Amino acid sequence: MADKPVYEEASIDGQPPKLASIPASDTTVWADASPLLQAACAGLRDGELIHGDNFNLFAAMSALEIMDPKMDSGIVCTYYSIDEAIENGAAPIPISLDSTIDVRCTIDIMDHLLACEAAWHKGHSLAQTVFSCIYLLRLDRTAPHALLHSYCRIIRATCKAVVSVVSDARTHEEEDLFTMTYGLPLNGDGDDKCLSILNAVEETISRQLRACKATSSKRRLPEDLEPLQSNPNLEEGFCKALLCRLRFRKHFFHVLSCMKRPQGRGLESARKHIASCLTELESILKSADFLRSCFDESCEGDIDDKTTASGFEPIGFDAMLNSRLSAPTPPRAIKILSWKKAVEYFVKLLHDLDVICSYSLDPHLESLLRFVVQFQKSQPDLVARSHLQLLLVQDGKLYGRDPFFAVINKAAALPEATKNHDIQKNESFLQLGMLVMNLLKILCTNAAWQRRKLGKFLQDWRVIYVQLELAFRNEYGEVSSSSNDENTCMKIFQHILLWVEEQTYWIAFRFLILGFELELYSTGEYCMVYWYLYAVLIKLTEKTHLMMAVSHDTAKRKGKKKKDSPKDLARESRIPPAVLFLQCYICLAEGLTMMLAALRNEIPVFHSPSPFNTEHEKFVQHFELLQRACIPDHVSYPSYKESTTHARFSTLAMYNYFKDAQRIAKEVKSSFSNDPERLAELRKLEQVAEHNSVAQNVICRLGALDPSLKVSFEFSHHPFFATVVVKRS
Amino acid sequence: MEQEVGESLIQLGNSDGSNSSSSDPVTRVRKLLFRRMLVGIKDGRFFLGTFHCLDKQGNIVLQDTIEYRSTRRSSPSPMEQRCLGLVLIPSSCQNSCHVDCSVEEQLSLLKV
Repeated sequence: MADKPVYEEASIDGQPPKLASIPASDTTVWADASPLLQAACAGLRDGELIHGDNFNLFAAMSALEIMDPKMDSGIVCTYYSIDEAIENGAAPIPISLDSTIDVRCTIDIMDHLLACEAAWHKGHSLAQTVFSCIYLLRLDRTAPHALLHSYCRIIRATCKAVVSVVSDARTHEEEDLFTMTYGLPLNGDGDDKCLSILNAVEETISRQLRACKATSSKRRLPEDLEPLQSNPNLEEGFCKALLCRLRFRKHFFHVLSCMKRPQGRGLESARKHIASCLTELESILKSADFLRSCFDESCEGDIDDKTTASGFEPIGFDAMLNSRLSAPTPPRAIKILSWKKAVEYFVKLLHDLDVICSYSLDPHLESLLRFVVQFQKSQPDLVARSHLQLLLVQDGKLYGRDPFFAVINKAAALPEATKNHDIQKNESFLQLGMLVMNLLKILCTNAAWQRRKLGKFLQDWRVIYVQLELAFRNEYGEVSSSSNDENTCMKIFQHILLWVEEQTYWIAFRFLILGFELELYSTGEYCMVYWYLYAVLIKLTEKTHLMMAVSHDTAKRKGKKKKDSPKDLARESRIPPAVLFLQCYICLAEGLTMMLAALRNEIPVFHSPSPFNTEHEKFVQHFELLQRACIPDHVSYPSYKESTTHARFSTLAMYNYFKDAQRIAKEVKSSFSNDPERLAELRKLEQVAEHNSVAQNVICRLGALDPSLKVSFEFSHHPFFATVVVKRS
Repeated sequence: MEQEVGESLIQLGNSDGSNSSSSDPVTRVRKLLFRRMLVGIKDGRFFLGTFHCLDKQGNIVLQDTIEYRSTRRSSPSPMEQRCLGLVLIPSSCQNSCHVDCSVEEQLSLLKV
């Protein structure tokens, strides 16, 4: 795609001037073939083509159609090039000779750039958004206009910083357009000085603000300062509007710089800058009233759709000029976010970044996983998620600080002393470390990408388990149920094997429930999904319980001298709260499976086979990845059928799993009094259990008899456990 | 001069009087396949590529195409070029069409 300018010669031989600039060759000339082609067209039959032997109609359909706006990115619009646009006054410097209008237009440009930036973050290309600004494309020419120049400089530096974070996190695979710069001028000389340039401008405007306030209060100031613009009534409003915008940019740039510091050292400072950003954004919103009212002319159209606070169209933007740079084929038409929505976007982004900055960098993997899952519930955007990922995984260590073997060591309830054991150099353990690292990265991606990756990941975790087990067997023979304390290596293997199993089932659980969030299951498939979820949860609970028993052993061994008191023994025999929590899930899953199975077996309308594929095929489609990794073992379509074929309303009436779930949820709440997140979850589970218990009773009593009863499933109380709603139609 | 050559390309076929398939326009255009063709379109751009296909409506498909465009609306101005690959140029936007022709080839075409 090299652009080599070919200069034009004077017209010769009566050839049109342009033709002369595209020489045929030394020995050839351009011969006009249009009359011949026209004659040939007349001679062709309908549908007949003139083509060579290598012609393939299917391949020809991939040809770019010229003058089709979707395929031809070179269509000439207003200007032939950026330079022509500038020569024709598309981006004047100064914007207006009237300083008041110049300032207002500058603010419009700042606002529109904010809207473009938000649109870019949301997933559109840089060329169509931020770099649709002609001033940014030729930044050096803005030098005489201090305000515009400093603002463009910091925007460019900010975009570069964000591109660098997203590229490093490599989460942009999900949204390809983000980091493609296609030769846009993102690297500028002297952009590291952008903050000092901005500070100088901010200082000047602050003094102008003080001066105009002093004038209004009739005080005289010693300095002889030129005002910002020519209308004294509007001076204060404009100064304030500019100051909050400049300060927002300054603090936002600081947030990005602080968060980039390794091992989370800059997080506390980042929080302070985030708070400042939010304050300035509030001032920016408030400035809209002033900007809309300061001119007599009102803008047309709905103010809420506008990309500027004042409602006026900004000067100096043309997305088409860059269309050849944004992609090989022209990008689809996009809509820049409205200014209001852009501000809302940045407020949310800052809140998400604040959550990340407040994180305590807990060395316990289990708490970290819960934190990431909780964070994802607020649906953070790409920029926030990239920052989280970079915080968690740096230099191949957790938080850039803890080696992954040490993290696994702690998670597998091994004593602190083993974290430096040589066994970590073993190939399988190195691979396990990589798997944990990749798991953290995957959990930071968006839901759709995450589910896909987790599904494929299951195989890797299964393989590592088999490898570790093989290595263990080769060294120590058959695994015996009684553990041998003296052999540390054996202990490491045993703990880690158990931990790997627990993690694998956790991943499978997450894979299944993400399907609900992404609405991948149809109502007719809920029964098999809940059944599989039940099977996975049983195994997860089993492994978690074993893991806790083993970690309790480790803790006990630390305090070996104490004798077991009756109280301790009693505590040991009680089921740990975390396991009870999972048992609540199991009851709900089982309850829903049985209810759905009974409905399907008893009421014909529930069992309507799809014309496209059989239930067996759907089972395979949904659970293929799990089946391939044998998670869990001995689970298949026949076993699913066996479990659910005999479900009837009569059998349902015999046992109410939902009541069990309610009871467990109530019982275990007290153990989580310090954990607001789990308390909230338990409350939701209680609600689902309560509603479903009642619904089950109604269905059992009336289901088969009353044809007017309508049963539906809503996720009104919990994201993946459905609430059963029974209505009379 | 090419205007004359162009007219000659057809006229010779007509003046020959014979209906031999080797002199009808369709066959002669078939002979132009894989030759370099320069198509000018209405917005001022030029597309240079190898002639790949023609249909009854006059739509042209070119292979290994290079797009030439000027950087200023008014001439004279420097031209930019970029590679596009396989393109379809609808007849509705075509302005001109030239084929790369050596002097000897013109003569041999004339003979046909």
